[in-house]
Amino acid sequence: MKKLVALALSLVMMFSLVACGGGKDDEGEKVKITLLSYSAQEAATNILRDQLVKAGFDVTTNIQPDYSSMTTVEESGEWDIVMSGWTTVTGNPDYATRDIYASYGEYNGGGINDEKVDELIDKAAGETPAQYVATYTELENYLVTEKAYTLPLYASRGIRVVNDDVVDINTVKNPQSRSAFWENYSYVDASQNETRTLMMYNTMALTSLDPIQANDGSINQLSSNINIRIINMTEDDQIESDGSLSLNYAIAEGNQAFYFILRDDVFFSKVVDKHVQATDILVGGEDVVYSLTRAANQKSVASHKTYNLHNHMSNISVVTDMNELNTVKDSDTGATILETLSKDLATPVSTLVAADADVNNAAGAYQVVKVETGTAFPQVLYYLAHQSAGIVNKEQCEAYNSKFTVEEYDPNTHVCYGDPQAVKSGENMLYLSGPYALVEYTDYEIKFERNPGYMAGTEYAPKIANVGMKFYKDSTSAGLGFRNGEIDIMDSCNTNDVATFEKEGYHVFNYVRHATTYCEFNMAEGKPMADVNLRKAVMYAVNQEDYITYNSGLVGKLYSSFSTLIDTGNELKFDLEKSAEYLQKYLDAQK
Amino acid sequence: MAKVENQKNIDFYQKKVKNRKLGGSLEFTTSRFAYQLTSVLAIFLLLWQVVMPIAQGNAPSVIMIILTAVFAVEALLQMFVMKKIEKEVTGNEGQISDATRKLGVLLIICLVTGNLFMFIAGAMLVKKEKNLEYQLTIYSFLVTVLIIFVSFINLFKEAQVETFWLGIGLYVLYALLNLVILVAVNKYTFGKKPDKKFIPFAVISILGIALGNVFLFVLGLITIGKYRNKNEEVSVEWIDIIVRLFRNYTAVIGVLLVVFFISLSIGSNLTFDYDIAISNNFAARLAEPSLKYPFGCDEYGRCVFTRLVFGARISLIIGLISTIAPIIAGGLLGAMAGYFGGKIDNGIMRVLDVFNAVPSILLAIAIIAAFGVSTINLVLALSVSSIPGYARIVRAQVLGVSNQEFVEAAKACGAKNGTIIFRHIIPNSLAPVIVQATMGIGSAVLSTSSLSYLGLGVEPHVPEWGNVLKAGSTFLETNPYIAIFPGLAIILIVLAFNFFGDGLRDALDPKLK
Repeated sequence: MKKLVALALSLVMMFSLVACGGGKDDEGEKVKITLLSYSAQEAATNILRDQLVKAGFDVTTNIQPDYSSMTTVEESGEWDIVMSGWTTVTGNPDYATRDIYASYGEYNGGGINDEKVDELIDKAAGETPAQYVATYTELENYLVTEKAYTLPLYASRGIRVVNDDVVDINTVKNPQSRSAFWENYSYVDASQNETRTLMMYNTMALTSLDPIQANDGSINQLSSNINIRIINMTEDDQIESDGSLSLNYAIAEGNQAFYFILRDDVFFSKVVDKHVQATDILVGGEDVVYSLTRAANQKSVASHKTYNLHNHMSNISVVTDMNELNTVKDSDTGATILETLSKDLATPVSTLVAADADVNNAAGAYQVVKVETGTAFPQVLYYLAHQSAGIVNKEQCEAYNSKFTVEEYDPNTHVCYGDPQAVKSGENMLYLSGPYALVEYTDYEIKFERNPGYMAGTEYAPKIANVGMKFYKDSTSAGLGFRNGEIDIMDSCNTNDVATFEKEGYHVFNYVRHATTYCEFNMAEGKPMADVNLRKAVMYAVNQEDYITYNSGLVGKLYSSFSTLIDTGNELKFDLEKSAEYLQKYLDAQK
Repeated sequence: MAKVENQKNIDFYQKKVKNRKLGGSLEFTTSRFAYQLTSVLAIFLLLWQVVMPIAQGNAPSVIMIILTAVFAVEALLQMFVMKKIEKEVTGNEGQISDATRKLGVLLIICLVTGNLFMFIAGAMLVKKEKNLEYQLTIYSFLVTVLIIFVSFINLFKEAQVETFWLGIGLYVLYALLNLVILVAVNKYTFGKKPDKKFIPFAVISILGIALGNVFLFVLGLITIGKYRNKNEEVSVEWIDIIVRLFRNYTAVIGVLLVVFFISLSIGSNLTFDYDIAISNNFAARLAEPSLKYPFGCDEYGRCVFTRLVFGARISLIIGLISTIAPIIAGGLLGAMAGYFGGKIDNGIMRVLDVFNAVPSILLAIAIIAAFGVSTINLVLALSVSSIPGYARIVRAQVLGVSNQEFVEAAKACGAKNGTIIFRHIIPNSLAPVIVQATMGIGSAVLSTSSLSYLGLGVEPHVPEWGNVLKAGSTFLETNPYIAIFPGLAIILIVLAFNFFGDGLRDALDPKLK
């Protein structure tokens, strides 16, 4: 009997020892990494955590419930790697580098402070697209390959889902950087264009309807459809005048002055009783000068959110001196500016006028606007194509904003131009230059009507008369609404929902979009990530294929925030041996 | 007319007698339950694995056809046995014949196919005299065998964890030990008092708690309790309660599930690979259920089955701690409020009322939002919100108890307040708290899962059941299996605790003795 008890006792002891002890003791010291992110980035965080654990790091994740909680933790410095993202909405590499990598960058959270990086960014800014590829490649080689200042994860692609039973998919364009443009859209049954409302969706309350006062997901798309700009971008981010307020544009020698010859068939719309009404106010040079001057002036409005995009402009003026156009040479072709501007005009330029009232293109009276930048900066054109450079009406804007000074502005008592709360309550002050007018804004939806004075009779005139945007909590519920037929076009959706949409026969566009997901290293003094070897150990532990597989192949590889803009040929190679090698170097240096 | 009416009354009465006889027969209730479940399972298998593939134009797999057939045969066998028992129990003799009892062996063998309910029915049928000790050993054996079965599913994986065979070996030994104890139980415990020779076995049984085997643990306690009971004519109160609890078959099923989950969460350390549960494997992303991945794989290619096995541990630990902690805190506060009364009562209860006024899940969310996402904060959040509930129950009990004579007697003897509270009042007011607690564990598991589902629970990669469910919810339309199984697991554990709690309440109720 005693034997039995002894046997049983030892059995139980063994169980408890093995079951509770469990772990292996031969693992040695591991490098501890705190990975910070917020709930929307949970999937990417998990994949990165898993990869780093497999590479032998001891990873703690800190997933905050929302973006602002994450920034609070980020500011406290209690992290080693933070998840970050950047979308280049302007399509130019300067926008994709300066704020992230320059030592003074607004979104340089990791503390990159390297003179060489700053120099290269400035050098590339002064170059034309043909020249800057080499400079940006050099920047990328230094920034990522040599110094591992940033940890690239993946490049998102754009996904647009269209109910192709309703909307003619041939009329849907998928520009890389520019927002979707609605004037092209048409129904399969074109007779519905006049009667049926085209529905899209929005997830956030509008920040502001003054183009320079906001640059976020709540207004980007609608703002670029209610305000015209003096230049446009093609689907693949080439600068063009097509469909913009200018008929042609020219870059002067030295890359410091830019000329635009304006068209005379765009008129402001206004809203009366929640319906659009045409005006005879031409969108002319005076409005352009006013709009761009205020964009370049930090003190023009109370919360100027897009000053960083427009501070390069030093002077904007209407050119009346024909001589100037005849003498200044085009930067690319060497022809005169006038020659470049006159290309394919129906009536040649006979006079240059200053006042909007005197414009008459058919009679040869044109307006030419000149934008000057203090230093050579050809990429300013991309910023002029951005929604924040939308043209507003000078009189209407001043009528509202002159009632108070910028310093005394109080959102609770004052109504500024584009105040979304005023529009919501029925005081719609918007004089809009774009193809559509925002006629009504409620908690549930935003309604738009076509601007009757927008390039009437041309191919650019909007086809569909009524457009709406419905508010949803997130893209998941918008997806449900889409499948119920509540909305016709979804401009973004979860990668994991795409299979469902495709299965149900909807048309899914999958196109290049300059949205990137990457990580920043906390390189503050004394932090482990200040060591380049450790950063490289982390970098080589990342296998981008996992992110691509997770997102069902709907994302791509990434090397830096401008990978999608410039083909540098660089690619991050997953290499655990190299990772271990650099980790060893780091550990050796620590001893 | 009167005759018909009379006949009706007689029928009604006879039916009642019959139901009462059947309900009192453990053999019949276990048989009926086994029959019902086995036939449901057989029909389910038939529809899902045989009819559905044929309807879709595919050939059903041979293994599944065999399995369906086996279960169908088992259901028929069980029905036959059940009918026989029914006839004999309601017959003139009111006794089950030896021939029928021998059929129990057949039912026991059915355990080979994983049919645990037929095993229970068989084990209850085979033996005429069944005391609590016998039942406990049977259930304990069953749990051990089930863990071996579940662990064997890992054989279909590419590789097993290093300690796999060690674990299996230990569990097989443990199952054998169970059988030895069973023999000892049969030999020594059927008297009024267990034989002295059984005491070593009782000690071994108590050690079973290290493996989460509550059945053996209770067996050990009971036999020792009985052995030390000096007055043979009076039965021990707490043993009686357990005997009553085990008369309620639903409660037994509840306890069985709970013990199974607890044992599995301990046993999984040896036989399951934690890596499969947390490390991503994109080659198996969204894999459908198969022998290799019984419940399929989630969006990161992690085996949902393994995640659920490891999740049992986390969910149960959080559930247990966040139930026990508020019982201690709430119990003390409630006891103080009830005993002292007056200003102290008012003070404590009003503060608790404030807590009570905030919706518990909201309070939990607020605590987590303030202190951040971590397991400790989660436990804290869940505990704080359930303190007032326990305090109220204890206070109400204490108010009743503290006016009784024995308390006054204690006071008259000059006992200190602390002594009175801890020695006299609390033990006498525990019963409702225990019932509330068993139910509470279920809801704590549920709250943990809800919070994890909202992204406020444990870290997302940790295999907590709510997390597993959350991962699946995105794919509800395309790959529903990822969400169905964790959902079932949560339902099962909550049901199990509720059954257990219900049974316990009946067992503790003096009116239902």
